[in-house]
Amino acid sequence: MSIQHHPDDALLSAFAGGTLDSGQHVAIATHLLACARCRNFVRTMERVGGSLLTDVPPAPMSSNAFAAVEARLGEAPPSRPVTPSLPEGETEIPGLPKFVRRYRFGRWNWVAPSVHVRPIELPEPGQTRVFLLRSGPGTRLLQHSHTGVEMTCVLAGGFSQEQGHYGPGDFDLGDESIDHHPVVDADGDCICLVAMQGELRLAGLLGRLMQPFVRL
Amino acid sequence: MIQPGRRIVILVMQQALLCLDLPRRTSFASPMPKAPRAPQRLARMQPGKREPAEAPHWEVLIRAIAADQDRDAFARLFAYFAPRVKAFMQRSGVPADAAEELAQETMINVWRKAALFDAGTAGAAAWIFTIARNLRIDAYRRTQRGIDATAAEFEFELETDDAMQPDAAMIAKQDQTRVRAALDQLSAEQLRVVELSFFEQQAHADIAAALGIPLGTVKSRLRLAMNRLRDLLDGQS
Ligand SMILES: [Zn+2]
Repeated sequence: MSIQHHPDDALLSAFAGGTLDSGQHVAIATHLLACARCRNFVRTMERVGGSLLTDVPPAPMSSNAFAAVEARLGEAPPSRPVTPSLPEGETEIPGLPKFVRRYRFGRWNWVAPSVHVRPIELPEPGQTRVFLLRSGPGTRLLQHSHTGVEMTCVLAGGFSQEQGHYGPGDFDLGDESIDHHPVVDADGDCICLVAMQGELRLAGLLGRLMQPFVRL
Repeated sequence: MIQPGRRIVILVMQQALLCLDLPRRTSFASPMPKAPRAPQRLARMQPGKREPAEAPHWEVLIRAIAADQDRDAFARLFAYFAPRVKAFMQRSGVPADAAEELAQETMINVWRKAALFDAGTAGAAAWIFTIARNLRIDAYRRTQRGIDATAAEFEFELETDDAMQPDAAMIAKQDQTRVRAALDQLSAEQLRVVELSFFEQQAHADIAAALGIPLGTVKSRLRLAMNRLRDLLDGQS
C-alpha cells in the first residue's frame, strides 16, 4: 500500500512557508502524516525558509526589546486548554492528524444514496471548507467540477478516476480545469478528507438535489 | 491583521521592495564551494558581507540554552535572529508593531523550546524559521477569531515520527548546505517566486494580480522554480 499521488512541490512549499489557508493546511497535513517522501520535502523547504530568514535584511528591534524579553524568560509557558475532540467511539477514523481531531465535527449528513458528508469546523472561517466524505462500495461519485480548488486526501478505502487508483494517504488536487469521475472501490467504504474552495458544480438532477447540502 | 482589500496594496509595496532590493540577492553567498554561476550573478557577489547562515555556533548556542540556561548564548541568538524574524514578519504583511511583538515571542519560544531542538531534524535557522512561521500563522488566526493557537502542535506530531532516523544529524547538516547551494543557482526570477510562497499570506491569484501577470503564469513559474529546486537538491546528494 504505497502512496502514488502527492501534492505538487508548490503546495508543499506553501505549507512549509505557512501561507496556505487553514483548510488547505489541514488537507496537506493529513497527507504529510501518511507520506514520508513529502515530509522530507517539507523539511527541505523549511531549510529554504531558514536560509531566506537569515538573508532577509534585518529590521532593527526596539531599544528595550531584549530587556523586555529577558524579563520574561523565567515565566512559565502558558498552559494550553484542552479542547473538544472527536466524540468517544469515533476516534477510529484513521489517518487524521491529532490537531484535526480536536476540531469540532458536525454530524454525518446523508447527501446522496450511500454518500455521507461530515463537516469539520475549522477554528477560523476561511475560503476553504473541510469535510469528511464517506461513500459506499462501488459508488460512482457525481460528475462535478469546481469554481475553486479542491483537495482530497484518502483516509480509508479507495477510489479510481482518470488519473489512476487512490488509496489511503493518496492526495488529489482538483481545480476549475478538471472534471472528476471517481468510482469507489467495490470492496468497502471510502472515507476522504476534502478541503474545498469555492462552489462545487454538480451535473444532473441528483447534483441539483445535493447542491444545498454540499454547500454546508 | 490584514484586510483583504489592503493585501494588494501591501503586496505591491512588497513587490516594489523586492525589486528595489534586488542586490540583496547577493547575500545568498554560500559558505561552501560554489557551483559555476552566471557571470552577472558573480558581479553582484559581495563576499564576507554577512555571517554564514548555518554557522555551527547557532546550534551550539541553542544547546547551551538547553543545558545551562545560558543567557549570554541567548543574547547572541537574539541579536542575530530577532531583527531577521521581525523583517520576515513585516515582509509577510505584519505591521511593524506586531512584527516586533512576534519577533520577541519567537525568541522567548527559542528559549523555552531549546531542549526540544534536535539538530538532526533541522538546522538552527530552519528551526527558528518554523517557530516564527507557526507564531505568524497562529497570530493571523487569532486576529480572525480569537482562538487558541495550534500550528505548532502538528509540528510536534511530525517531529516525533521522524526524529529517530539514523544519521539524521549528519543529513540535516548536509541538507542546509545543499539548500543554500541550490538557492544560489536559482535565477533571480525563480528565487522571487520561491520567496513569494514563503513571505506572502496570499493566494496565487493575489500574487498574479499584484504582479500583473496571469494566474497561469504564476502557477507555472512557481512550478518551474520548485522543479528546479528539487532537481538541484536531488542532484547534489
Ligand atoms: Zn506525498
